[in-house]
Amino acid sequence: MNSLKAVIASRELLLNLTLREIRGKYKRTIFGQLWSLANPLASMLVYTVVFALILRVEPLPGNPSGVHVYALWLLCALLPWNFFVTVTTGGMGALIGNSDLIKKVHFQRSTLVLSQVLSSTYTWCIEMAVLLVAMSIAGAFVIPWLPLLVIFMLLLVLFAAGVSLALSIINVHFRDTQYLVGILLQMWIFLTPILYPITEVASRSEKHGGLLGTNITILDIYRLNPMERFSAVFRSLIYDNRFPEIDDSLWCLGWASVALVVGFFIFQRNEKKLAELL
Amino acid sequence: MTPIAISVNSVSKRFRIYHERNQTLKAAVMRGRRLVHEDFWALTDVSFDIPVGSTYALIGDNGSGKSTLLKCVAEILFPDKGTITRNGRMAALLEVGSGFHPELSGRENVYLNGSILGMSKKEIQSKFDSIVDFSGVEKFIDQPVKNYSSGMYVRLGFSVAINVDPDILLVDEVLAVGDTAFQEKCAQKFRDFKTAGKTVVIVSHSMPILQSMCDSAAWLSHGVLQQVGDAGPVISAYKEATLGHQ
Repeated sequence: MNSLKAVIASRELLLNLTLREIRGKYKRTIFGQLWSLANPLASMLVYTVVFALILRVEPLPGNPSGVHVYALWLLCALLPWNFFVTVTTGGMGALIGNSDLIKKVHFQRSTLVLSQVLSSTYTWCIEMAVLLVAMSIAGAFVIPWLPLLVIFMLLLVLFAAGVSLALSIINVHFRDTQYLVGILLQMWIFLTPILYPITEVASRSEKHGGLLGTNITILDIYRLNPMERFSAVFRSLIYDNRFPEIDDSLWCLGWASVALVVGFFIFQRNEKKLAELL
Repeated sequence: MTPIAISVNSVSKRFRIYHERNQTLKAAVMRGRRLVHEDFWALTDVSFDIPVGSTYALIGDNGSGKSTLLKCVAEILFPDKGTITRNGRMAALLEVGSGFHPELSGRENVYLNGSILGMSKKEIQSKFDSIVDFSGVEKFIDQPVKNYSSGMYVRLGFSVAINVDPDILLVDEVLAVGDTAFQEKCAQKFRDFKTAGKTVVIVSHSMPILQSMCDSAAWLSHGVLQQVGDAGPVISAYKEATLGHQ
């Protein structure tokens, strides 16, 4: 992989661009980095009121952790989801936002997108650390699951990186992409078992049976969603404290590899034309 | 035979002029697969060599393709035909201070800009004092650059770029930054470059500057190479041609 080598060669630039994002983001705010926690907390509050208190969604208690708190159960999937949304929207605009630089200086262009990925990863790690502390207070025993958690977080980072590399290029060709993707992401969260447990879908799918006389059920199609697999894995590790299902893990690995390869491929094909297109 | 720093081999560069510059999905769907565009050749079959250690001027009217050529050499644009080979580390001064983050301090921006231009952290650290010294903004180096005057801004950007210490330096119309004292410093820096045996390629409209600095020149007109050779004759030929048109 040539492009991967090029990224490694410009790792110092990548680091500096990432620091630019992180340092520049909360400059001149009183609470600084704390703001990055405000957003997930606010959505947690809203979703908990709507889904747990009003609609009475009740996920099963963590097995074997025994934790039974909707807000925590929600966050285990919501934080990865929020991370994915931040990366795709941030990465998608990275090339257009830095068009002056691209038109005037020769450097590894993918670092612009990847620095967005890394700065969001930094924020996400802080959020996850806070969540792990909260889970421990609620009675879960998360420490033995940390190594696996790190691996799957890395897989999601790679998946999001691939998606945003591809989207950043498509967005240069068609500026509509950013708005379209914004809407798709809004719908996508409801197509993923983040706010409600997947058992709700499973039971309805079973009632309906195979689609159009085949063996394919609604659930099968529903589970093609990469974020569904990631949500399941993160909940197993953090909320239930047990090994994720093998097939979920393999799907995560598969999605991450496919996204990364396709993303880099699309980026590499268009990289040289960027200064002209912008 | 002096060694060659940059070799330009029958380079052509095409731009597509879209009649309907409408970059939307709707426009793409409406016009179907056929893209309505006209080819515009900004450069046609340009070939010449720039020897190591020379200070080389690219001259021509506005729109003659000299900046496009410089960007092709700088690997920002890529030629559609032909090749360009470069021997040695290259730095391009096409615009100074691009990539500065307004909210970050001068110090942080020196590191950021330096790494964009291809310097390693160690290199920047060792050159940091001379960069700041050259720019003359020591007092404000820990202030966010958005508080800088526009002169300080470009001076800092210029100092970073000129301290990349390349074998080949590409310059596009940025010689006129800062006050007289700073310009004199820059001129001195270019002379140092020359004595150190480095190659400089300059695009400019200021004939007096070019005449005093450059030893060779290439004259482009509408993307076609008109004349190459020693700076004096080429510049006077160009001057004659433009004055003759008027």
